[in-house]
Amino acid sequence: MMDFGLSEGQEMLRVSAADFLGKECPKSKVRELEEDDRGYDPGLWAKMAGEMGWMGLVLPEKYGGADGDFMDLAILLEVMGRNIVPGPFFSTVVLCALPILEYGTDEQKGSFIPKVASGEQVWSLALTEPSVAYKASAIELRASLEQEGYLLTGTKFLVPYAHAADYLLVVARTSEATEGVSIFLVNGKSPGIKVEVIPTMARDKMCELTFDKVIVSKDSILGKVGQGWDIVNFILQGASVLKCAEVLGSCEAVMEMTNTYIKERVQFDRPIGSFQTLQHRMVDRFIDVEGLRYLVYEAAWEISTGSTSDLHISMAKAKANEVYQRTCIDCIKNYGAIGFTADQDIGLYYRRVKAAEFFLGDTDFHRERVAVGLGL
Amino acid sequence: MEFKFSEKEEKLRGDIRKFAEEELPPDWIGLGLAEESRDEDWEYTMSIAKKLSLRGWLTMAWPREYGGMGASPWEQLVYSEEVGYWGIPGSMMGVSGVAWVGPSLILFGSEDQKRKYLPLIASGEPDGVWCSGYSEPDAGSDFANIQCRAVKEGDEYVINGQKIWTSCAHRARWCWLAARTNFNAAKKHHGISLFIVDMKSPGITVNPLVSYAGHHIFNEVFFDEVRVPASNLVGEEGRGWYQLMQSLAYERGGTAPIGIGGFKRLLDELIGYVKETQHGGKALSQNPVIRQKLADRAIELETLRMFACETTWKMSQGIIVVYEPSRDKAFGSQASERLAITGTEILGAYSQVDPNSRWARIKGSIQNMYLLFPGISIAAGTDDIERNIIGQFRLGLPRSY
Repeated sequence: MMDFGLSEGQEMLRVSAADFLGKECPKSKVRELEEDDRGYDPGLWAKMAGEMGWMGLVLPEKYGGADGDFMDLAILLEVMGRNIVPGPFFSTVVLCALPILEYGTDEQKGSFIPKVASGEQVWSLALTEPSVAYKASAIELRASLEQEGYLLTGTKFLVPYAHAADYLLVVARTSEATEGVSIFLVNGKSPGIKVEVIPTMARDKMCELTFDKVIVSKDSILGKVGQGWDIVNFILQGASVLKCAEVLGSCEAVMEMTNTYIKERVQFDRPIGSFQTLQHRMVDRFIDVEGLRYLVYEAAWEISTGSTSDLHISMAKAKANEVYQRTCIDCIKNYGAIGFTADQDIGLYYRRVKAAEFFLGDTDFHRERVAVGLGL
Repeated sequence: MEFKFSEKEEKLRGDIRKFAEEELPPDWIGLGLAEESRDEDWEYTMSIAKKLSLRGWLTMAWPREYGGMGASPWEQLVYSEEVGYWGIPGSMMGVSGVAWVGPSLILFGSEDQKRKYLPLIASGEPDGVWCSGYSEPDAGSDFANIQCRAVKEGDEYVINGQKIWTSCAHRARWCWLAARTNFNAAKKHHGISLFIVDMKSPGITVNPLVSYAGHHIFNEVFFDEVRVPASNLVGEEGRGWYQLMQSLAYERGGTAPIGIGGFKRLLDELIGYVKETQHGGKALSQNPVIRQKLADRAIELETLRMFACETTWKMSQGIIVVYEPSRDKAFGSQASERLAITGTEILGAYSQVDPNSRWARIKGSIQNMYLLFPGISIAAGTDDIERNIIGQFRLGLPRSY
């Protein structure tokens, strides 16, 4: 039976997350952290892990988690997206903990997952390289097998919060075959790793990581040697949908603030929201955001129930990429000149559009996956 | 949350596919929205309507005592999608009766009206065909500006005035008529009433209006001293506007899944076409521009499906839908426009060829869609009127007109 309603538990999660972030992460904090070298607030991070239990929300109880399901995480990320919470939550939980849980050995899970759940460790995924191409053949960072273990040499680019990461999942080439790629669990402070924060328009602490003969033990592989690209695809499935959930929340926030403004702002002796040029632009974006919502929920529900659909995931991501950009641009137009100022929050969202769009596959990439799903 | 149809609904989907295979000619793609245009098409349409009625599908969601099967909104949705996909004609019998006259009568008709008219519609007979007397020359988007008048004389109402864009009036036995009963009301949407009018009544003249596509779908209808029994007033006198808004929600909501089915069919046909068609030694399906466009159309289709499901879900929960059918209709007509244009781009110069030519591709269905979509975006409230409804009733923005 089709059912679009949230369960009582999901509704509680949504409301408590909104209350918490409304108090603990106002836009003044977002602005402050954009200028901060660390880029996140360890106090807020500790509360998210402890008081709220978010790091462990979908992690198993035996590792200190709350045993929630994927849909819960989607609901939480929608609220986090509304509030554009800065920090390594996404990279730690979504990009690293979930694949470790799926592919890790019992030992790996036992030693790392509890520390993610408690908020003790920050993780990130070192996947993209300067080619910014999203395919196995673009992985050039080499892992060569020597006596002391694997030696990692190469460059990763746009790795979120790598400067703060205690550990990294590093996607590296272990053979010449196109998909000869493996994933390593690497201590972020290992000798030979150099981190540089790249200045970006979202000020979201995307880093360049250089590996110079970084030694990694042979048992630090996630899954099997050569299984790396399969794991990347697994990450892509869940993380794309959760990124979409975040984008959905951001779009909702942008729509609400703009709608409020155009009801209040008076020109020609009446609220500008009464003019159809603005009103219809608003409505078109509203329809877009509604459409995005149900594509995201559908794809998330499918993952949650073990009926993952690559087709629906890529539909959601292609739509999210387009809708986020269009929503921000049209809403800034509806604000008028004031929307162009640093004082208004809408610019914070607009500056985050490209980070979401190019993360885990751009629009063409996902449309192509949809085409494959259609049998083309 | 759950995003899956139940087994019961999937079984119904299979039954309807089987019906289409057994009852329709091979490679049938449908009559578009022009079932009532040509005599032979209309005759065929009504013959299939009768078969749908005999299966109990024609009015499946109505209560059993009035000729329905008491089917769930989800069964109705699946049925409509399949009807659209296979192009099964007659499912609406000229639209009004099945789609909104019946559901509206169930809500606010008298018991006598329900007993008389609902089984007639459910029977799939020509006497169950309806048209809707809504628009007038000066009451289009400004729908409340209705001037057609109904004046009570004894136990009758006398109707004078003109209706326009009246779909299927040339086939209909009954008219679902909106007329003004009070010319002194404070607001123009007060003082409107709804009537059931026998199209065989003396004083009714129907003139065809032919579309640029060559179809005779709508008409002008003139009412000259037409006498209607007072018992044919539907609901309360003067409350017609509120009843009409409900009927329009049915119209926008109820016909959407048929459109979605038709959309899916055309997309599937286009996917088949680009795989089979070679260009410069390569299948068209290898062309990245075409792949990207078809992917976008598929994303729009999935969005449409989700909208229809969400609207149906709300109705099944007893939630009164206000802006949702407008959302679904506005997005649906934009998506149809893009699908038609993508289709013509894929067919290229072949898209100009009429359906009956041996040079036609995909049975001319792309040409048909291309000719029809501007009409779809106007019928039952233009896209801009739908945007006004969403702006006012969902976003709470003030109106300026």
